[in-house]
Amino acid sequence: MRVQLLHLFWNEFRKRREKTSLITFAIAWGALSLLLLMSFGRGLSNAGSVNFKGLGNTLIMVSRGQTSKPYQGLPRARRIHIHMEDLELLKRQIPGIAMISPEANNNHSISYHSKESNRSINGVYPCFAEMRSQVPQAGGRFINDLDQEKARRVAFIGWNVAKELFGGGNPVGKEIRIERTPFTVVGVMKKKQQSSTYQGPDSETVYIPFSTFCQIDFQRFLDRIHIRPADPKDALFMENQVRRILGRKYRFADDDANAVNFWNTIRDYETGAKIFKGIEIFLSIIGGLTLLIGAVGVTNLMYAVVKERTREIGIKMALGARRRHIVMQFFLETSVIFFKGTLWGTLVAFNIVSLVNLIPVGYEDFGIKAYLLRPIFSFDILIIFLVVLCVLVFVSGIFPALRASRQNPIDALRYE
Amino acid sequence: MIEFRNISKVYKMGEVEFVALKGVFIAVQKGGFISIMGPSGSGKSTLMNIIGCLDTPTEGSYYLDGENVSGLTFDQLSTIRNRKVGFVFQNFNLLPYASAYENIELPMLFNGKKNTERKRRVNELLEMVGLLPWARHRPTEMSGGQQQRVAIARALAMDPPIILADEPTGNLDSKSGHEIMDIFSRLWKEGRTILMVTHDPAIAAFSQSTIRLLDGAVQENGAAH
Ligand SMILES: Nc1ncnc2c1ncn2[C@@H]1O[C@H](COP(=O)(O)OP(=O)(O)OP(=O)(O)O)[C@@H](O)[C@H]1O
Ligand SMILES: [Mg+2]
Repeated sequence: MRVQLLHLFWNEFRKRREKTSLITFAIAWGALSLLLLMSFGRGLSNAGSVNFKGLGNTLIMVSRGQTSKPYQGLPRARRIHIHMEDLELLKRQIPGIAMISPEANNNHSISYHSKESNRSINGVYPCFAEMRSQVPQAGGRFINDLDQEKARRVAFIGWNVAKELFGGGNPVGKEIRIERTPFTVVGVMKKKQQSSTYQGPDSETVYIPFSTFCQIDFQRFLDRIHIRPADPKDALFMENQVRRILGRKYRFADDDANAVNFWNTIRDYETGAKIFKGIEIFLSIIGGLTLLIGAVGVTNLMYAVVKERTREIGIKMALGARRRHIVMQFFLETSVIFFKGTLWGTLVAFNIVSLVNLIPVGYEDFGIKAYLLRPIFSFDILIIFLVVLCVLVFVSGIFPALRASRQNPIDALRYE
Repeated sequence: MIEFRNISKVYKMGEVEFVALKGVFIAVQKGGFISIMGPSGSGKSTLMNIIGCLDTPTEGSYYLDGENVSGLTFDQLSTIRNRKVGFVFQNFNLLPYASAYENIELPMLFNGKKNTERKRRVNELLEMVGLLPWARHRPTEMSGGQQQRVAIARALAMDPPIILADEPTGNLDSKSGHEIMDIFSRLWKEGRTILMVTHDPAIAAFSQSTIRLLDGAVQENGAAH
């Protein structure tokens, strides 16, 4: 293709710009909707996985249950409790455990000066923090191994507890009372998003060393055992191992799903991630269909443009234009229109995504806001988008262009 | 230079067939100035279009410069249209959103002539048809006579040996018509072959001889003036 012809095509395109502005707008609109749907879909999917991690990162939780079938002559509906020595048993018998922590909790009154409230007090091991994604705010810490060993009276408190007792003040180093026993606050939990809880949100809980908990509360059972497998892929296998070991000890069937309860966040996360990915793909398909409708519209509009310029095509043929000159002109014109529309659509989409991300989302907003207000405009979205677009440009450009070039010059010149 | 051997043209419109030319034999020598006359619908334009390679005959063979044009592809015919013939139409057929300059330049763009050469040629032609001050004007801003002069300049851009004019004065008043004919006379004297369709005997008088068509057949060939 000769440069001077490109120049001619460009000139003609520029002079007829207003006539194609509607087409440009249609493309911009299609590009905008596709990109927005993809970005919001990705944001949704991302918020979903962040929230799952809020409960705990690769975590299996074991808690008491009730047998659902008879076993070795024992009746069904027996309550199965779990005890501290089970934790030692599991630790000994399952080699793939990376971390394990007991958890026992009870509601107790806590107070600071005149402020008093009733909160869940939980006794745990130091590794609990890591398993449950609990990060201390600056200047504080979680309970540590020495606290556990010496059964120190220290507490790590949720941020809502801190607000309740201390208002805006810094709780670290202050002394609070749990059932009249003095405890030193060593840290406040940093805010996190959490979509699932089992006994109220972590933000309203007080954590103390398990050893200390045993001194102020005399319950015989554990409420939960938290386990993190060294390899998340072992999650299901480990769940079955735990059930078998406890089944042997408490005498229930290996396949009794209710004898002890499991909350396997790894498995939940996997299904959750699939659902969100599904939503993301679904939204992208809707966006793609919107763009496709746009492209069909563009194809039609380009056919109309070809028709409108029939006579002009005839004139050019009479003056010596070859078929490929005509094809090129219309194809390039479609491409330029697509390029312009896409550029606008992308810019607007990018700005909308950036602006929406400026809207503050509080950490207590577990629901709709966290899912909707954090769209992500990522590079791979752009790549997928551009590939889809190139296909559409080709399809909606080539057919009108071919039709333009296949005309008989005489008929084109006679066209009114 | 132009030789028709038993040329027929049949237009099909759905089921209906219309014979626009039947068994036409003509021969035009290089440097001739021929007018083509005949009643409306007699096939004058069809004849011109076949000569100009815009249309192809249904039957017969057409030799242009000794070459049988009948079997050529669209792009080969495009090259002939570009280099060998210049078209002038009754309704000018200028591109509406291009200036006089750009219209005249067009055939050279399809041929890939260099920038400087195009510029020189366009200005030369504008001067020849007396429209140098109108270079940047669009057709809509010009009179019919001026538009037709732009069209003639455009037909001459590639310096073709043959000029085909289909009722070039049909849409013009007699003064503009005569100005156009003066240009054609000049072109003929320069050695170009000119074929011109007209209804007007006064215009036909400028030519060397006349071909008369009736119902797609040659009725009379070579009436001298
Ligand atoms: N593309 C076409 N399709 C169908 N019929 C056509 C076509 N071109 C011409 N005709 C028919 O062929 C006949 C001859 O047409 P042509 O244009 O050659 O006549 P003409 O002598 O130039 O007439 P006029 O003086 O009115 O221009 C006419 O009856 C016309 O209707
Ligand atoms: Mg005619």
